[in-house]
Amino acid sequence: MGCSSSLPDRGSGRLVGPNVENGGAADAKNLRVKLVLLGDSGVGKSCIVLRFVRGQFDPTSKVTVGASFLSQTIALQDSTTVKFEIWDTAGQERYAALAPLYYRGAAVAVIVYDITSPESFNKAQYWVKELQKHGTPDIVLALVGNKADLHEKREVSVQDGMGYAEKNGMFFIETSAKTADNINLLFEEIAKRLPRPALSSSSSIQNP
Amino acid sequence: MTSASSSGDETSDPKPNPITKPPEDQLAALALSDTDSQANGVANESPRGNNHNEIENEEEVAALTNSAPSGSSEVVESSGGGGGGILRARSNSELEADGPESPSSSGYAGGRGSSSASSDGSGIDEIAAVSDVEVVDGVSDSQAPWVPGKRHVDEDDASISWRKRKKHFFILSNSGKPIYSRHGDEHKLAGFSATLQAIISFVENGGDRVKLVRAGKHQVVFLVKGPIYLVCISCTEEPYESLRMQLELIYGQMLLILTKSVNRCFEKNPKFDMTPLLGGTDIVFSSLIHSFSWNPATFLHAYTCLPLAYATRQAAGAILQDVADSGVLFAILMCKHKVISLVGAQKASLHPDDMLLLSNFVMASESFRTSESFSPICLPRYNAMAFLYAYVHFFDADTYLMLLTTSSEAFYHLKDCRIRIEMVLLKSSVLSEIQRSMLDGGMRVEELPLDPLPRSGSFSPHLNQHTLPTDSPDRFREPYDGVGGPAGLWHFVYRSIFLDQYVSSEFSAPINSARQQKRLYRAYQKLYASMHERGIGPHKTQFRRDENYVLLCWVTQDFELYAAFDPLADKALAIKTCNRVCQWVKDVENEIFLLGASPFSW
Repeated sequence: MGCSSSLPDRGSGRLVGPNVENGGAADAKNLRVKLVLLGDSGVGKSCIVLRFVRGQFDPTSKVTVGASFLSQTIALQDSTTVKFEIWDTAGQERYAALAPLYYRGAAVAVIVYDITSPESFNKAQYWVKELQKHGTPDIVLALVGNKADLHEKREVSVQDGMGYAEKNGMFFIETSAKTADNINLLFEEIAKRLPRPALSSSSSIQNP
Repeated sequence: MTSASSSGDETSDPKPNPITKPPEDQLAALALSDTDSQANGVANESPRGNNHNEIENEEEVAALTNSAPSGSSEVVESSGGGGGGILRARSNSELEADGPESPSSSGYAGGRGSSSASSDGSGIDEIAAVSDVEVVDGVSDSQAPWVPGKRHVDEDDASISWRKRKKHFFILSNSGKPIYSRHGDEHKLAGFSATLQAIISFVENGGDRVKLVRAGKHQVVFLVKGPIYLVCISCTEEPYESLRMQLELIYGQMLLILTKSVNRCFEKNPKFDMTPLLGGTDIVFSSLIHSFSWNPATFLHAYTCLPLAYATRQAAGAILQDVADSGVLFAILMCKHKVISLVGAQKASLHPDDMLLLSNFVMASESFRTSESFSPICLPRYNAMAFLYAYVHFFDADTYLMLLTTSSEAFYHLKDCRIRIEMVLLKSSVLSEIQRSMLDGGMRVEELPLDPLPRSGSFSPHLNQHTLPTDSPDRFREPYDGVGGPAGLWHFVYRSIFLDQYVSSEFSAPINSARQQKRLYRAYQKLYASMHERGIGPHKTQFRRDENYVLLCWVTQDFELYAAFDPLADKALAIKTCNRVCQWVKDVENEIFLLGASPFSW
């Protein structure tokens, strides 16, 4: 991508603001994590987030510009709560060079592809590599095959997705934002996989 | 092929009186005097008074402005050069009736953003369907039937329907690769783009530059911006200057999305394909192109404000200023395309065109309404090479806040700023005042007061004080009893030159369909172009009469006034009425303009 000259250098972008310090992320019972969604345009990243945060699905969903910020808190069975601060990034090519701005410091990255589009699966693999190289160490990676309701148009098999995820130590799931299948499960599973701060420690998940 | 080096408008424009007067005299003189009552134009309402700003002795120009073609069908033989015989027979009846959108490739509709507004297939220029109710509330509502997004993706230059479109815009690279087309699929238009590129480079090889090609009723306007070529093909009879400005705005919109550093891609690879970089932005361009026919900001190079009580706007401005002092470059609070308040950091100034492009971008991109966003954008007039970062948040469906910064790390700070601003706006009930102003609308020609109001005058009921009830004996009465305002005044646009702001009256009968409004804007646009014609302009006054309107334009160092009257309106009364409009605007300027904003300099 050529027009990256005025974009931030890798490593300089850091979307951790002043509210991290006082955000209470150090509380072992009330976690607060930065989560970023990445993936090709049109795979349904915004739909997944809106389904999770608002329980809505809009079939005429809109092209995301830059990145949208949403948050949602879930309660786990062990009575911990996890507040996800979600960066829903634009999948458009012109924003690719900007991605570090959004994934820097993220504890979780959800990489989404469309099971009807092998191209988007390739793009997902690009993002996995990018995060392995430049993402936060110990970042929790999830690979999500979305649009699972469109099984008759499926072009990426479950085995392919799962195989790739296993090889790269990722959590894998197929979802449908349209039918809400596995959406909540996705975030619950992520929450379970988060490294918990030791009860005595005050280290924050956001600042590993 | 003609390579015209100047605009060469077909219609012989009237020669507005070249009243050559020392400019300093115009500053104070605010009076258009009535030719009937002041035979020599000496007696004047202005203390500085001589007749410098009078409108008199203008030739009435009948039927010169045919800004909207009447229904006859015309056959245009494209002359050999104009793009290889592509422009053929057209029927003239606003053939932009656009079909339903094509679905995007993926089921989740990433690409061609369809809108939540129910798409009934009515198109950008198909405006007959607008109900009167929608129109009464003003310009913005005339967008209601317009369905954003790209249409006719199935068309290409071989389709008859494509050829019949009245107005095409193209962006292409200097190697002839299509980048954007208003109608039809860019990729299918590769051959056509190559033709356009060939025309441009043919003339460039001769050491010249092609600006305009005429082919019958069609104008082909070219704009070259480094490796980017922009072309408009239009049979709308808009002046060359207007079409060129529209191309400039389209280029600016592209820069807002990508910055000028995109040029480097072409330096590295002349055959670079730019379309993927603009992915998903069709809707932004089509919305901008749509605004060429309803938003006067596109030719006035000024912005407009939502009418608000002075104290309300002050309250909004104060909190924005507070935020700007904390390191925000620009803080802008808007309601649709109207400014509520805006503040810039020290020495930073915002060009009205940048505001137009920014608000168009934000309003056209639906995702901003979903949740708060943080996105790179470029303000071409501020710095075309670099991105700024925009924090965008919608308080409600129409009211939104934009905080611009140079720091890519400022999101959480800007989010905190927004929370503070929101609290203040709620506490001081600014947000509810905004809602009310939206409902009440702005200045109405029917309410033009007879006598100058006291300084604190208001024009709108909710702004309390000196409102004149409709049946007040105070109301301006003239022996004219048509629709609209006194003396057959139908509409006006007033642009303050120092403020870079304009105010436009609400539309009322008989200009109450979107089609008529568009026709009026085209007439204003033509008037604007003729008043500012290079070389011989700017002119001071113009009075022209055709079968649609009497148009009166008055330009001073302080302001420009464009007014439309009934075609049978009396000239002397019309002039008198214009003076009253100017006085009225002065009386209520506290409420219709943003005063004391940081100076705009560039």
